[in-house]
Parts: sequence; structure tokens; C-alpha cells
Amino acid sequence: MSCALQWRVSIPPGFRQLTEASGFAAANGPWFEKLEDGRAIRGFRPGPQHANALGIVHGGMLAAFLDSAMGTAVFHTLRRRAVTLRLSLDYLGPGRIGDWLQAEGEVMGHDEHVAQVRGRLYGPRHDVLAGLGAFALLSRQRPLQARS
Amino acid sequence: MAVDNPPDGFLRIDFDRGSDPTFNSHIGTLYAKRGEKGTRDEFVMGFRVHKRMCNPAGGLHGGMMMSVADLVGTMGGGTQVGLRKFLPTVSMTFDFVAPAKLGDWVEGRAEVVRQTRSLLFTNISLTVGDERILRASQIAKIPSGDGLAFGKARLDRGAEMAAKGTPT
Repeated sequence: MSCALQWRVSIPPGFRQLTEASGFAAANGPWFEKLEDGRAIRGFRPGPQHANALGIVHGGMLAAFLDSAMGTAVFHTLRRRAVTLRLSLDYLGPGRIGDWLQAEGEVMGHDEHVAQVRGRLYGPRHDVLAGLGAFALLSRQRPLQARS
Repeated sequence: MAVDNPPDGFLRIDFDRGSDPTFNSHIGTLYAKRGEKGTRDEFVMGFRVHKRMCNPAGGLHGGMMMSVADLVGTMGGGTQVGLRKFLPTVSMTFDFVAPAKLGDWVEGRAEVVRQTRSLLFTNISLTVGDERILRASQIAKIPSGDGLAFGKARLDRGAEMAAKGTPT
């Protein structure tokens, strides 16, 4: 089933596919990432399987994608794995099927246990989703075993 | 396809009715149960956790929780106030209270906080048994005019008939 739903994507330069994806991320990908000046930018091109009844990208898909970009920002900034505690999202405009969408996060502050992150998801023409989240920082020794 | 074994009363939600699967079908299968009007069980959404819904750590992926909570707010909240329209989400906040694991049956319920002419405010919970795994709040837009009737989503009554069996 997943093969039939694979969407042929053209990818902007500098992005590499996240091949370590599994489960939900793999089933709803492929997702891509680019590192630029030490920050991570994630990208994906939504296909028909990401649409809602209005024919635009489903809000849950956008939420999952921005969440992943914000979690990655924590890792690249603080070198700590993190799981989402809280995520607050504002839907600013529609995500179009077939457009290249990008998402990135910025760590606004943190202590030993929690990081505050601002996130932004945008298409070629306009902002799509704005996010603000709190991420629980996992201990440096602990392998990834909670929700990410 | 893995077996879902939904509890009694849950019917598959047929989102696309024969056309190519959109996101709600792609991530599913999602089920719904209709209960008595005015109770917290008036509209309950449910699904079984499969591997394709999980994160690398093997728990239910936050993106799956958010996707379902979004739907519970607009379909469940909309049902409770008698709106059969597609309600686009304006804003949502999620608190990831506890994890869920492979094989769990997850249920989602909405509570309408307030309805204005153009907005619907709801609180949403996802639970596994008696344990809450996600708390969310949502603001959805109520479009003027008739709008789209939930897209094409319908409860699969055919499955209900099949489950009851044909009299012999």
C-alpha cells in the first residue's frame, strides 16, 4: 500500500531525505532536512494522501510536521533529545497539495528540563502554521524511548 | 491488514466513499460511536494503535494524536451543536499528558465550551481506558452558508448490518 502512495517529489537543493523515519513519519513522508548556518530546516511535498475534505493539507499533518521540525531544532541547538510536552498552533493559511512546504524551529529559552520553542511552517507564497511549544529535555545518557 | 476489533457500537468512518484515500483514511482506520444526545458519549471517535501510527520509540506518535484530536473537535463538537458542516481549524493547543502503546484502543471525546456565530470553542480528550493521554483545546471556524457537509464522511452502516448478521 505504501508503495502505491509514494509521491514522486522534486527536492530543492541541499535537502536530504530522512531515511531513519519509521512508523508514523515513514507512513506520512518522505520528509527532508537541510542544515543551514547550524539550523535545521525540514521540507516535504504533500501528496493527495495528505489532503482533507477541502483538498488542502490536513491540519493534523501540518501539526505533525511542524512538531518534528521544532523537536529537531531543540536537538541541533542544545544537543539534547526532547519530547513534546505542549504545542500551541495557529493556522494562518492553507497548505497546498503539490507545494514544497518547509518548517523550522527556534529555541527561545530553556532550563535543565524544558525548552521553549517557536516554530514556523510556510509554503512558497505564505505562512501556513505558527507554533509555540514546550519540550521536555531527555537526559543525555538516556536512549530515545519516549514519544518524540 | 491488522485487525482493529473495535468495541461494540463503533462503526468505521467512511471518509472518502470510494474515491482515493485522503489523510483521514490514510492514517486510520478511524471509528465513531454515537451515543445519547447531550451526554459526553454523544460522539466518540476510536482507533486501534498500529505500528504505522507510532514513533521510533514504539509509542503512539504525537502527530497521530494531534490529527485525531483535530477531527474529534470539529466532527464531535460540530455534531453536538448540530452543525453538519466542515469546520476549518483556526487554533489548537495540545498537552501530551501520557503515552499510548501499540495495540491500545484510543478514544476521543469533545466538550463544547462556547459557540458564536462564526467560531466554535471545544475541549478535547483522548483516553486509553480510564487514562487520559492527550488534553487539547480548539477554536474552529464556522463558515457562513452551507459549507461542505463533513466532506464525504459517513458512518459505515453496512458494517453494522454485517456485524449483526443476517437472520437464518
